[in-house]
Amino acid sequence: MGIRLLKEPELEKPDLICGWPGIGNIGLIAIDTLRRVLKAEEFGEIEPWDFFYPGKVSIRDGLLKDLEFPTNKFYYKSLEKRDLLFFIGEKQPTEGERMYATGEKAYHMANLVLDVAEKFGCQRVYTSGACVSPIHHTVKPRVISVLSSEKLTKEVIRYQNTILMSEMEGREGEGVITGLNGLLLAVAKKRGLESICLMGEIPDWLSGSPFPYPMASKSVLEGFADILGVSIDFRILDSMVAQIEEIIERLYEGFPPEIKERYDQRKLVAQAKPAGITEEDAKWIKEHINGFFKKGDEQGGERPI
Amino acid sequence: MDFLRKGMSRVEKGLFEIYRAPKLRNPALIVGWQTQDVGKLSSNILRFLNEKLGGQEIAEIKPVGFFPLGGAVFRDNLIQVPESKFWACEKNDLLIFRSEEPRYEWYKFLTTVLDFAEHYCHIKELYTISGTPSLAAHTTPRRILAVYNQPEFQKIIQGYGLEDMTWEGPPAISSYLLWAAERRDIPGLSLWPEIPFYLAAGEDAMATKLTLSFLNRRFSLGLDLGELDLEVRNQNEKIAQLRRENAEINTYINRLESGLSLNEEEQVKLAREVYELLEKRG
Repeated sequence: MGIRLLKEPELEKPDLICGWPGIGNIGLIAIDTLRRVLKAEEFGEIEPWDFFYPGKVSIRDGLLKDLEFPTNKFYYKSLEKRDLLFFIGEKQPTEGERMYATGEKAYHMANLVLDVAEKFGCQRVYTSGACVSPIHHTVKPRVISVLSSEKLTKEVIRYQNTILMSEMEGREGEGVITGLNGLLLAVAKKRGLESICLMGEIPDWLSGSPFPYPMASKSVLEGFADILGVSIDFRILDSMVAQIEEIIERLYEGFPPEIKERYDQRKLVAQAKPAGITEEDAKWIKEHINGFFKKGDEQGGERPI
Repeated sequence: MDFLRKGMSRVEKGLFEIYRAPKLRNPALIVGWQTQDVGKLSSNILRFLNEKLGGQEIAEIKPVGFFPLGGAVFRDNLIQVPESKFWACEKNDLLIFRSEEPRYEWYKFLTTVLDFAEHYCHIKELYTISGTPSLAAHTTPRRILAVYNQPEFQKIIQGYGLEDMTWEGPPAISSYLLWAAERRDIPGLSLWPEIPFYLAAGEDAMATKLTLSFLNRRFSLGLDLGELDLEVRNQNEKIAQLRRENAEINTYINRLESGLSLNEEEQVKLAREVYELLEKRG
């Protein structure tokens, strides 16, 4: 299981910002957009074959040209005031049928990422993800933060539209950040590194959707712009936001009027529990919306070669 | 072990069990998978080679970590054991590997296959065998589609009548093995003989014979494939009889022979009738 570095840039105490796929791909979209906007340069990768199965083979005129694996790449960027490392993973290493990383492989990958980060003097790690929340889809998602130590609190609550998990209604600061976006923070803390997770809110009824939730990614991206003191043209996400809003609006239009009325109460206040809708409402939404989502899961039945 | 050469520091020896040291020079490795074995092609070919060439079991890859071991699967009342075994055909300098596809850790499993083959047996070439279903009729000549991992090797094999494949999509384990071999600079060839879809659940003597003919020629094995001619003739006669007795089946096969397609329902009906004929009625 190896790390391959194409070059060794000279960096001073860079912060590491990591993104993996997750619910609504909120963190991944935010961090990959940040990487692209800052024009961070690729400088290495984690060899994928011990963690992932290849997804595609390309055979042309009898020659096996390529076997494609999910990528796990490192990037770097020197800003005026600070240096940054990025790690973007296209997939989380899973064991068995689970969706998100668990077990030995996930732990190993987290350590490999941090090995590289510490090699360059990193002392702080950021990850991002989703916070499933009883919000209305038209409400601007907040950024919910979880930290490795209390001393980071003062700093984090200064970030735009950002609150601590303990300030979120009904959460009392407890919960689980599944997969590598969470595990990496734990391993970083174990190594004595500061770690911060910034999670964008996603409406509970959309948390199982097959499409991204870029509205929350935008909130997270705004937070990072604040943290890094960089100006970002957030219109970069606008077309994706518009597309997804249209899909969600169509789903919402399919709600029965009485459910819609109760659900719309969420516009008024962020709720601790799915208040405004009844358990039956939630069940109806889940059944009908899941039916819609399943259509997107269908795959072709070609035999692999 | 005196047959061990350099490079063993990288090899995880605990992953395989060696029964005896093979007396091989620079063999070719022939690999077949029992999982989703279309037309039972690789099973039949490897069994034929082992029987005719006196293949001796020499080693196995242990199942731990690669296969589920929470119980035992049984099929047709028989307990199934995941086996991943190597045979040596010493006289003909062939190494044969037959296995189920591992459920977990493909890369580690394939690395283990190549570790044993390379470091203990010093293989020079790799061949994988897997059938691929085709929409052609059984009366049309079979083709063997080929995938190589090195252009130089492709040139060497020219003249054997194989057809180059072009394809993009999810990789089979044979393609993964071919790729892993290339990373070690081991030339490799995946053989994908076409098998009419309605013979895929059973056996296809014609595809078996065609593939064995290639191996016979490539490795100068001197195999007598006459008994396969008999099987091909028997199979063809049975299907011809079915066509005479069943007009609908005859129409379906006629259409395939004319290069026309069948809808899904027709395909299923044809496959079921032929399977019933060949596998159940014998």
